[in-house]
Amino acid sequence: MARKFLSRRTMLRGAIGGGATALVGLPVLDAMLTSSGAYADGSVDGPIAGIFFWANGTPWHAGHGAALAGPADLWTPAATGPGFAPSDLLSYVGEHPYSIATGLMPMTEIPAEPAGQGDGHMRGFMVALTSDRPRPEGFNHGSHTLTALRPSLDQYIAKHEEFYGSAVPRFRSLQVGVSDARFHDYGHWNAISYNGPDSLNLPVGDPGQLFNLLFSVPDDVDSVARRARLLDAVKDDAADVRAKLGASDRVRLDEHLAHLDEIQRRLELTSTPCMGPAAPAPTNDLHQKTAIMADLLAYGLGCGLTRVFSFMLTSPATTHVFSNLGVANDMHSVCHSGSWQPVYDITRYQMQALKIFLDRFATQLDPNGVSLLDRLCMLATSEYGEGWQHSNSEHPVLLVGRACGALVPGVHVREPGGNLAKAHVTMLRALGIDTPSYGFNGSETTEDLVGILA
Amino acid sequence: MARERRDRVRQLGLVGLMGLVGCYGGSSARGEGEGGSAGDDAGTVGSADDDAGEDSTDGTDLGPFVPGALVLPRLTAAQYRHALVDLLGPDLPPTPVEGDTNPYLFYSIGATSTTLSELGTQLYEESADLVTHAVFDDPVRRVELVGCEPVAPGDGCVAGFLTQFGRRAFRRPLTEAEHARWLAIAAELAQPDAWEGLRLAVSGMLQSPWFLYRVEVGQPDPDDPTRLRYTGYEMASRMSFLLWDTIPDDALLAAAERGDLDDEQGLRAEAERMVADVRARETIRGFFAQYLDLGKLDDLTRDPATYPLFTATMPDSMRTETELIVDDVVFRERGDARSIFSTQRTFVNDELAALYGIDAPDAGPVTFVPVDLPDTRAGLLTLGAFLTVNAKETQTSPTKRGKYLRERVLCQTVPDPPPDVNTDLQPTEGDPKTVREQLEQHRENPACAGCHAFIDPPGLLFENFDSAGVYRTEELGMPIDASGDLDGTPLQNARELADVLADDDRVGQCMVRQLFRHAQGRLDTQDEAPVLTDLAARFAEVDYRFDDFLVELVVHPGFRTAVAQEGE
Repeated sequence: MARKFLSRRTMLRGAIGGGATALVGLPVLDAMLTSSGAYADGSVDGPIAGIFFWANGTPWHAGHGAALAGPADLWTPAATGPGFAPSDLLSYVGEHPYSIATGLMPMTEIPAEPAGQGDGHMRGFMVALTSDRPRPEGFNHGSHTLTALRPSLDQYIAKHEEFYGSAVPRFRSLQVGVSDARFHDYGHWNAISYNGPDSLNLPVGDPGQLFNLLFSVPDDVDSVARRARLLDAVKDDAADVRAKLGASDRVRLDEHLAHLDEIQRRLELTSTPCMGPAAPAPTNDLHQKTAIMADLLAYGLGCGLTRVFSFMLTSPATTHVFSNLGVANDMHSVCHSGSWQPVYDITRYQMQALKIFLDRFATQLDPNGVSLLDRLCMLATSEYGEGWQHSNSEHPVLLVGRACGALVPGVHVREPGGNLAKAHVTMLRALGIDTPSYGFNGSETTEDLVGILA
Repeated sequence: MARERRDRVRQLGLVGLMGLVGCYGGSSARGEGEGGSAGDDAGTVGSADDDAGEDSTDGTDLGPFVPGALVLPRLTAAQYRHALVDLLGPDLPPTPVEGDTNPYLFYSIGATSTTLSELGTQLYEESADLVTHAVFDDPVRRVELVGCEPVAPGDGCVAGFLTQFGRRAFRRPLTEAEHARWLAIAAELAQPDAWEGLRLAVSGMLQSPWFLYRVEVGQPDPDDPTRLRYTGYEMASRMSFLLWDTIPDDALLAAAERGDLDDEQGLRAEAERMVADVRARETIRGFFAQYLDLGKLDDLTRDPATYPLFTATMPDSMRTETELIVDDVVFRERGDARSIFSTQRTFVNDELAALYGIDAPDAGPVTFVPVDLPDTRAGLLTLGAFLTVNAKETQTSPTKRGKYLRERVLCQTVPDPPPDVNTDLQPTEGDPKTVREQLEQHRENPACAGCHAFIDPPGLLFENFDSAGVYRTEELGMPIDASGDLDGTPLQNARELADVLADDDRVGQCMVRQLFRHAQGRLDTQDEAPVLTDLAARFAEVDYRFDDFLVELVVHPGFRTAVAQEGE
C-alpha cells in the first residue's frame, strides 16, 4: 500500500502561502523544471542521489574470472538497448526502474610503488566510488591499509554547490549500513563514503540509532538552540588546539571542525518535525534489516531530511557468513575458494535485498503521487567484477530511478572495456550538476553512458 | 639523514617499511618470509627495525636516538567513558560513541590515525548533552558534583567549578582566556537558571578537542634541545591513559603541578603507585587482549555439525581463559610475562575442559578452575583462542598460524604476496588432500616458495589442533604429521615449540615492541631502535615482570621525548 507523506518542501510551500511556485533556492538546471516550478515528471522536490553497495561483485563466468568452459554469465542481459530482458540475477531486482551498463572497468593508472595498488578490491572500489585510484601515499597492501584520494561520489554531490545551493537540508547526507560484518575493524573496510583521504563517513548500522537520528526531536526546542550556540565555544577551543598541531593532525582537526559546523547547522534545523515509521525492532536477518533501514531512510527522504545517501548492504570484502543460505564460510573466503554456487546464491540474495530496498522507495509517494523512485538517481555497484580472481573487468553498474525525469530506465548499455567513470558522469549530469568531465589519474572522461540520460 | 628517514616514515603513514627485505627470490634464514592470503590479518607488518630481535640486550646503555614525532590521539571509547565517570560520577546513562579501530593491532594507533566522522561528532554532542542532563537535572547529584549552589549566572560558584572541572577534563589548568570563554557561555546560556548555564558549559567542555584529544606538544628537552620533552602535565596524561585508561587523578595532577613529573625519580614514584592500583590490572588486560587479537573471537562461529564441542558460548570462554592466564602470570604470580607462551597452567570452565579433554569436576559454565594442561599442550599458542582465530571455518590454516607466530610473537615482518599471485590454495584433483599436502602448492610455485618456507614450517606444528582447537591425530583418515621447524630447528609439534619459545629472546623483545607501540599510539621508527634495545634490556633486568617493566617504560627517555610533527 502506498504511503503519502508531508514533505518539508511541501510544508515550506504551505508556510509561504500555499502557492505552487514557491521553490526555495533549489539549484537545478532550468531545463529540468517546467514553467510551474515542478520537475518534468511532476515532482516538486529535487532529485535524490544515492549509492547502493554490495560486496564481492558478481559470480564469475566463462571468460570472466573463469576458464571458457566455466559457468554461464548470469549477470549480463543478452540484449542491449531499451527494453532488454533482465538476466537471471537481475530478475531478482524486480520490476523497478533501472538501467544497466556492462563491460565497464576502472581505467586509472597503477603506480608501481608501493606494490599491490592494482588489487581488485582496492582499485575497483576506489574507482567505482571516487573515479580515482587509492592514494599511493601510505598504501600498504599487506596490512590492507588504504584510503581514498578524494571524496566518494555521494559526498562530491552533497557538497557540490549546484546540488543543494543554499537549501541544505538537515542532513547533508546520510550513510546507512546493514551487515555488521567487516573484513577489518580499521580504516577503509568500515565504510563506503569518503570526505577525502583518511576521512570516512561511517554508516549507521543500528535501526534504533537511525530512527533516533532522523525522527527524535526534543520537545524543548529552545534548549536545542542553546546546544547549537554552545558549539561556537567548542570551535573556539578547537581553533586554539589547531594552532599547536603539525600539518597532518591539523587536517584531522579541520575535518572535526567541519563536522561541528554541520552539527551546529543540524541542531538549528532540528525544529522541523518529521513523521517516521514506528520505532524498529532489531533483527539479525539481512533482508528484514534491509527493509527496516530502507523504510527509515525512505521516510527521512520523504520528509526532506536529506537528498543524498549511501546504503552499504555489505561492507567491502565482506566476511558476512550467509549461514541462512547454507554457506558455512564467510563470503570473502567463499569467493577465494572458487566456490561458484554459494557465491551465486549470495549474489542472488543481495539482489533480492536491492529489490526489498527499492520496494520501500516505490511506496513512498508525495501528495502529487510522485514516488521516491521517480526522484531517485542511484548508482548500485560493487567493488569488482567477480570474486574468484577479483577481476576488475565487467564492473557491475546499475543506475536506478528516474531522477525526476533525467534518467531513462530500461536500457542496457554494453561497452566492453569502457570507462567506469562514465557511470559517474551520467549520474552527475542526471542530477543537474555541470560535468564537462569526470575521473582522475587515467580515468578521465567527458562521456556519459549513451541512451541512459533523457 | 635521520630526520629525512623519519619524515619518510611519517609520509608512509603508519607503515614503516624500511625493515622489509625482499624475499620473493627464495628462502632465507630469518625474517624474510612472505605469505598470507588476502584474508589474513597482517597485523604487525612494518616495523622500523626488523633486526632488533637479533641485537644483544645484555646491559646495553641507551645511546643516541631520535624519538618519534608527536601524535594526536583521540580518546578511545573506553577512555572517553572512563573519563566521563571520573568527571561526573558513576551511574551515567550509556552513550554510544564512534567505535575504535585497531590498525597494527592497537586501538591507540587507531586513535592517532583516524579522523573523527560527522556521525562521531554528533554522537559526542548527544553524549555530552545526555550525561550532563543526567547529573544536572538531579538537584542532589549536581550539588554533590559542584560543591555549591549557584545563585546567579556565572557567579563565584560557577567560576570556581569551571576552574576545577576544566583542570580535570583538560588535564591541565585552564588558561585565563579559556576560563573566561566557558564562564561567558555559562552566563549567556543560563536559561532558565544558572544551573542550566553551568550544565551547558560542562557539556561544551566535554566536546572540546582539549578533552576529546590528548594534545601533547612538549617543550625543548633540557638534555637535548634538538628534541622535545613532554611537560609534567603531559606526562601525567600519558601515564594515566597508558596505565589506567583514563584521565589523571588529583594526586597525579598535583604531582605535575609540583614539578615532580619532570624527573625520573618523581615519575617512578607515581608510576609505582599507579601500577599497584587495580585499574592498571584492568588496563593491562586490555593491552593483552589487543596484542593477542582476542577481538577476533567476537564473530567466530563453527558449524555445530562438524564441531559439536564448539558451542555458541565457546568464543567467550576462550577469551576468558586467555585473560585469566595473562592475569595469573602478570599480576597474581608476577612471573615471567613471556611464559604465557609456554605455561602448563590454564583455567577452564566445563566446555573448555571438554574441548581439551581435561577432567575438571569443579568447573561450571561460568566457573573457571585452574588446571594443568595435557602433555600435548603448553602456552597460549596451543589453546582455543589462538587456534580458532587463526584457522578457517572448516579447516586449519598453518599459514595463518605461522604468520601470527612470526608477526605477533616474534615481531618479524611477513611481506605481502606478489600482487599477481592468487593466494588461495587451488582445489586439487583426485583424492582429498590433507592441509599439509595442499600446502605443497606453495613449495611448487617459485613466487610463493620463499616466503611460505618462512611461514608454513612453524605453522604446521599446530596441525594436531583442528579448526575448533580440538586435539586430533588424524586428518582424512591419515595420521597427522605435525612436524616442522622454527628457523632451522626441527620440531615435532606445537608442544616442542612452546619449549623453544620459552628460551627465545625474541619473545620478550617483541613483547616490548608491542607495548611500546601501544603506549606511543604509533609504530616504532628505525631511529628508535636503540630505545627498544634498551627497553628490552630493562625488561630482562626486572626478570620479565610486566608490572615492573611498565614503570621502566614510563620513566624511559623514549617515552618522555618526541620531535615536532612536520609542518609545525
